[in-house]
Amino acid sequence: MLSNLSVEDLIEQIKSNEISPEEVINHFVKKTALIDPKIKSCISTSFVKGRDGILNGIPFMVKDNMEVIGTKTTCASKILENYVSPYTATAVQRLLDAGGTVIAKTNMDEFAMGASTEYSSFFTTRNPWDLQRVPGGSSGGSASAVASDMVPFALGSDTGGSIRQPASFCGIVGYKPTYGLVSRYGLVAFASSLDQIGPLTKNVRDAGLIGNILIGKDPKDSTTVEKQIDLLKNIENSIEGFKMAIPKEFTKGLSDDVKNVLFDAIDNFKKMGVKVDEVSIPSLKYAVAVYYIIAPAEASSNLSRYDGIRYGLSIDGESVDDIYTKTKDEGFGREVKRRIMLGTFTLSATYYDAYFDKAQKVRSKIVYELKQIFNSYDAIIGPTTPGVAFKIGQLSSPLEYYLQDIYTIPANLAGLPAISLPMGSINGLPIGLQIMSKRFEDEKVLRIGRNYEMIRGKFPLPEVVA
Amino acid sequence: MKTVIGLEIHAQLLTETKAFCTCKIDVNAKPNTNICPVCTGQPGALPVLNKKVVEFAIMAGLALNCEIHETSSFDRKNYFYPDLPKGYQITQYFHPIATEGYLNLDNGKLVRIRRIHIEEDAGKMVHSSENITESKESLIDFNRCGVPLIEIVTEPDMEKSEEAKEFMEKLRDILRTLGVCSGNMEEGALRCDANVSVVDDNGRSSSRVEVKNINSFRYVQYAIEYEAERISKVLKDGKDVKHETRGWDFVTRTTVSLRSKEEENDYRYFPEPDLPILKVSKSQIENIKQNLPELPDQKSERYVKTYGLAKDNANIIAKDKIISAYFEKLVSSKMDPKDSSNWIVNDLLALFNADSVDFNPDKVPIESLKVLMEYTNSGKISRLSAKEVLGEIYKNNRNPQDIIKEKNLIQVSDENSLVPVIKKVIENNPSVVEQYKKGKTSVVGFFVGNVMKETKGKADPKIVGDLAKKILDGEIE
Repeated sequence: MLSNLSVEDLIEQIKSNEISPEEVINHFVKKTALIDPKIKSCISTSFVKGRDGILNGIPFMVKDNMEVIGTKTTCASKILENYVSPYTATAVQRLLDAGGTVIAKTNMDEFAMGASTEYSSFFTTRNPWDLQRVPGGSSGGSASAVASDMVPFALGSDTGGSIRQPASFCGIVGYKPTYGLVSRYGLVAFASSLDQIGPLTKNVRDAGLIGNILIGKDPKDSTTVEKQIDLLKNIENSIEGFKMAIPKEFTKGLSDDVKNVLFDAIDNFKKMGVKVDEVSIPSLKYAVAVYYIIAPAEASSNLSRYDGIRYGLSIDGESVDDIYTKTKDEGFGREVKRRIMLGTFTLSATYYDAYFDKAQKVRSKIVYELKQIFNSYDAIIGPTTPGVAFKIGQLSSPLEYYLQDIYTIPANLAGLPAISLPMGSINGLPIGLQIMSKRFEDEKVLRIGRNYEMIRGKFPLPEVVA
Repeated sequence: MKTVIGLEIHAQLLTETKAFCTCKIDVNAKPNTNICPVCTGQPGALPVLNKKVVEFAIMAGLALNCEIHETSSFDRKNYFYPDLPKGYQITQYFHPIATEGYLNLDNGKLVRIRRIHIEEDAGKMVHSSENITESKESLIDFNRCGVPLIEIVTEPDMEKSEEAKEFMEKLRDILRTLGVCSGNMEEGALRCDANVSVVDDNGRSSSRVEVKNINSFRYVQYAIEYEAERISKVLKDGKDVKHETRGWDFVTRTTVSLRSKEEENDYRYFPEPDLPILKVSKSQIENIKQNLPELPDQKSERYVKTYGLAKDNANIIAKDKIISAYFEKLVSSKMDPKDSSNWIVNDLLALFNADSVDFNPDKVPIESLKVLMEYTNSGKISRLSAKEVLGEIYKNNRNPQDIIKEKNLIQVSDENSLVPVIKKVIENNPSVVEQYKKGKTSVVGFFVGNVMKETKGKADPKIVGDLAKKILDGEIE
């Protein structure tokens, strides 16, 4: 049976000739065809096979904001509905070169702006634990596909929590590498100084395995750095004697349900000989505000290129300006327009100092305060999300959505490595534990996660009946 | 009234590839053949800085006496236009690579350079009508998109349109000598926007007007001259000068309003997150400095000092690296420097200037000019004939000896063959002889001229003059 196997399990089975690579791929392609109509993880299916390598026979899905040559890359937006990639993103290429096969492009919030896939221009993806609930977002398609076992792993992108929050909602592992470790070349930019590609997997070891393939300097992305990192090398080593920090700012206002799951997690850490302290990082209370200035500002510039001139949706008009107006009005959804307006405003000459420049300064302050914490602590832990997956249509104001990212945003602002893995359940719905550490300590983040995973015991995947 | 002029100059850099991708730069390529995901702004594409661009920008900065910054950074200038595929231009707004330089004009005036920064060019548009608003159709060629530029901004230190023109010409000569820009304004490789304002006699300054679309060195002068006069007139009429952007119309030789200050874009500059801070080390800068070629002003000074060239000739030769190389080769092959400079400036360059083309050493090989100079100096041919031969070489790329032989230009200098001709001319002009005898010796020139005519320019005029005098004075029978 191929059900609920990790990437490592599958590689093992293929190696020992229990099953052929083709059979594995066929199994997942069929399963996707069966399950996806219910979950709606995929925007398009494809079959892009790589070379021979360790991932031979391993299918994966790619969030639809990454270029895969010859496939449509829509970003779940009408403006790119029929855009066909002329090249392949470096991160995807590295997986293809390692033997992997892309079998689908997954749903997301339009241009990765959202936390539920409700802002997809096409459809809303379901949470496999409860079809009435959202899978989280923006990488909701990728997370739900992995959680419902349509695919052993998938790629997501994380700008303010878009890998970790859906991982938390879907009860799987989501890993956001240190900014600069994984190439962004071919990732359709949302907020360039925050975006990072990472894997959604069934366990922490798989996150390490896929992470190892993704990580590496890319001459096509000037923000990538050369670092010798092996995420699996010491992953099984004990974490006895480690020190964890839980920021007060992360626990204030938490519901009792979430608090209880967190206390269980803290107990688990203590059992492993880990010290857990409550700390205060005062600037964290500004993280969401800072994020919602910087991210829309960068987005307003990054999304300028969708103008109906060279590719994508183009609506004819009386003049160039008319073409721009009509194309953008028709092509962009409400949330995207909202953020473009927000970013255009905060970058305008009159408000630059009051908003964008000030936000950059506070960002530096957050970076500094987090750095100070890591002088004394190995990692910062806490819940990934303020609660479990919410119901489709439950949240009404943009602010409620924005607050979904309250715990995940600091890692993006500071470029830190962070992982979300199942911490426990509340009324049958999973919630994630987030672990983050200082820049380039990705090995440590995964090692702590792996140790937690072992002491917690195997976390089940939901039963999805076709 | 005093005019105040500042310039903003864009220079296309002569790198092989574009500023932020590896596409070739080739002005002759078919439209949209040198393009890629990066320079056409495909989703997900990222810029990677071409190191050569940094080197060229530093060279220009050093040549213009700027401070080169070890750290500088890139920013985005956001605006919408179909030739700008990303919706923003990558530039250096907050922290340019070079600041605070200067360039000396020949009158000793110093024009300060405020800043030099690196940026990228946009694509090129072709409209079915005069301009985009009236056009039914517009085509875009992205070959130029992403070509590296440096923008050079001066302080408002110039007061005359001639100074602005001289500044541009000197800048062109420097950039050409460095080999970083072709300096061609007509083709748009070098572009100049002028900021013009006028201060009245009470010291009150008008608003600043920016004049764009100036596409030749002459127009730099004309456009500024026109604009300064226009502003002065508005001031004299007691009206307010609008702070606006105007365009130079070379057909009507006037400037026309393009947009007012209120219509200016808010470019929403912010740091480019896709490019890290640009760092250059002291030693890199020092290394570039050591390898800078000799600049026109330094060269000219050396020509005056070591070769005794006239200042004007020295300037003309020194400002162009091809001409100066030609000159130095002539000198190193034992030709007299002063003589060489006269030949080059008065004869050789005149030929190219007459055709309005750039000097090309292949058209008149150094060897050919050398032969002409030697023949002339030894009296074998006249200066006049030499000029004729030079024209022939320039036109038909022929060997000078062949031309001299074919045209039979070797000078007649032996007395035996010249005396009969001179005697004939004297006999035919008794009235002039009369004048000579009365003491008006200058009429000898008349005889010389006529002998030259008779001999079709082959006679050596100096010898003819001497002989004529002797005949007239009765020293020769």
